[in-house]
Amino acid sequence: MAKKKEETTEKEQPLSLEETFAQIEEVISRLEAEEITLEESFAQYHKGIELLAHCNETIDQVEKKVLKINEDGGLDEF
Amino acid sequence: MQNIYTVAQVNSYIKNMFTQDFMLQKVRIRGEVSNCKYHTSGHIYFTLKDAKSTISCVMFSSDRRGLPFRMEEGQQVVASGTIDVYERDGKYQLYARQIELDGIGALYERYERLKTELAERGMFAEQYKQPIPRYVRTLGVVTAQTGAAVRDIINIASRRNPYVQIILYPAIVQGEAAAPSIINGIRALEAKKVDVMIVGRGGGSIEDLWAFNEEAVAQAIFDCRIPIISAVGHETDVTIADFVADLRAPTPSAAAELAVCDFSQLMDQMSEYAYTMRHLCERTIRNCRGRTQQYSVRLKYLSPLAVLRTKKTQTLSLEERLQAAMTGRLQGTRHRLALYAEQMKGLSPLDKLSQGYAYASDARGKTLSSVAQVAVGEQIDVYVKDGRLTAMVTETESRSWEAGQTDTGTDKKQREAADG
Repeated sequence: MAKKKEETTEKEQPLSLEETFAQIEEVISRLEAEEITLEESFAQYHKGIELLAHCNETIDQVEKKVLKINEDGGLDEF
Repeated sequence: MQNIYTVAQVNSYIKNMFTQDFMLQKVRIRGEVSNCKYHTSGHIYFTLKDAKSTISCVMFSSDRRGLPFRMEEGQQVVASGTIDVYERDGKYQLYARQIELDGIGALYERYERLKTELAERGMFAEQYKQPIPRYVRTLGVVTAQTGAAVRDIINIASRRNPYVQIILYPAIVQGEAAAPSIINGIRALEAKKVDVMIVGRGGGSIEDLWAFNEEAVAQAIFDCRIPIISAVGHETDVTIADFVADLRAPTPSAAAELAVCDFSQLMDQMSEYAYTMRHLCERTIRNCRGRTQQYSVRLKYLSPLAVLRTKKTQTLSLEERLQAAMTGRLQGTRHRLALYAEQMKGLSPLDKLSQGYAYASDARGKTLSSVAQVAVGEQIDVYVKDGRLTAMVTETESRSWEAGQTDTGTDKKQREAADG
């Protein structure tokens, strides 16, 4: 029977972009609440900006060359 | 009397019959290849047989284009061409123009059988599908290193996001070695921990795509812990690999689009987030400022200083009213006074004095209006315009000052005054 890919939960890595975006959405929805206090809004804004900065860090903006696996499992340029 | 023919005539006659037969001009024959000989002239001689019968065949070198593979003994093929007579030997044979491997029927059967079996084993079940991450950094590709598929994938992936690392496993995607090669590729890229994998190849016949219908390949795709997008052939080609993969892309290009997010869209999304946050924060600040202002106004209104000011104002206004009332009253009084003074003016004795009249009083200040009031020798006071005289009464005389009377009294009085 099928026993697929026993859950890869050992990945306690830093936030993925997707998770970060979800958090930003959350920050925004808090900021959207009319009754937010100024302190809270500063805190949330700060958090949002940090999350965005994290996104930017996560996005590794270096153009990549295509690599090819060779027989030894090493990588060559394609 | 029966005619007697030569052998050549008979063979020629038979040949003629064959050539006139419509069906024999284009036949397709299924059978197993035997006695296959590739002649140095380029012609191929072989026999097709089945359980019951055999037929000779030839494929001329000029027709070799119709044979896409190397024909070998025991192969199951479908040969199409014309059946004609070789007059010299009195033999008929198939002049083959096209020969194809007759695997298709069997392959379809195998495909259907495997599909049913794997489906029953649950390998296609939704619950095992791994989500394709939206933002990948490394993309593994298992496909042939030449051909349109790899080019399309690289072009589209790097156009959408040039910052994605593509790692290619150059796989054999056709023929006997294909399945193990694809399986190795999947495992190698899994070991490289790519974020998502595209496994596939460009279009081809069912035989060309066959590796993607192999059970071992399906198992490798199923076992892989990294999400796999299958991209085999064209839209219409659906392989076992497509069913077992986490996502099926109709073509390699589509797979690249599904695997790699559009970078510019990502950037847009981020700047939109930044804008929205700034905007909302500014709104909150504006609200707070507005409220502060409101409070400040209210507070100012309530401050002791404001209270003082109000009281002061009140005092001032009271004072003004008081002043005004007082002034009014004073003016009224003054006015009345003036009126009285005017009235009085007419009655004032002082006026009379200025005209040369005088008025007299006794020593006690009582006005003298009758001679009977004084006695001779008594001192009296006489008041004139600019002062007072003290006089002595030397004489008294009663007289009436009615009209027509002498004015002696006057003279006397003048005299008295002069005496004083």
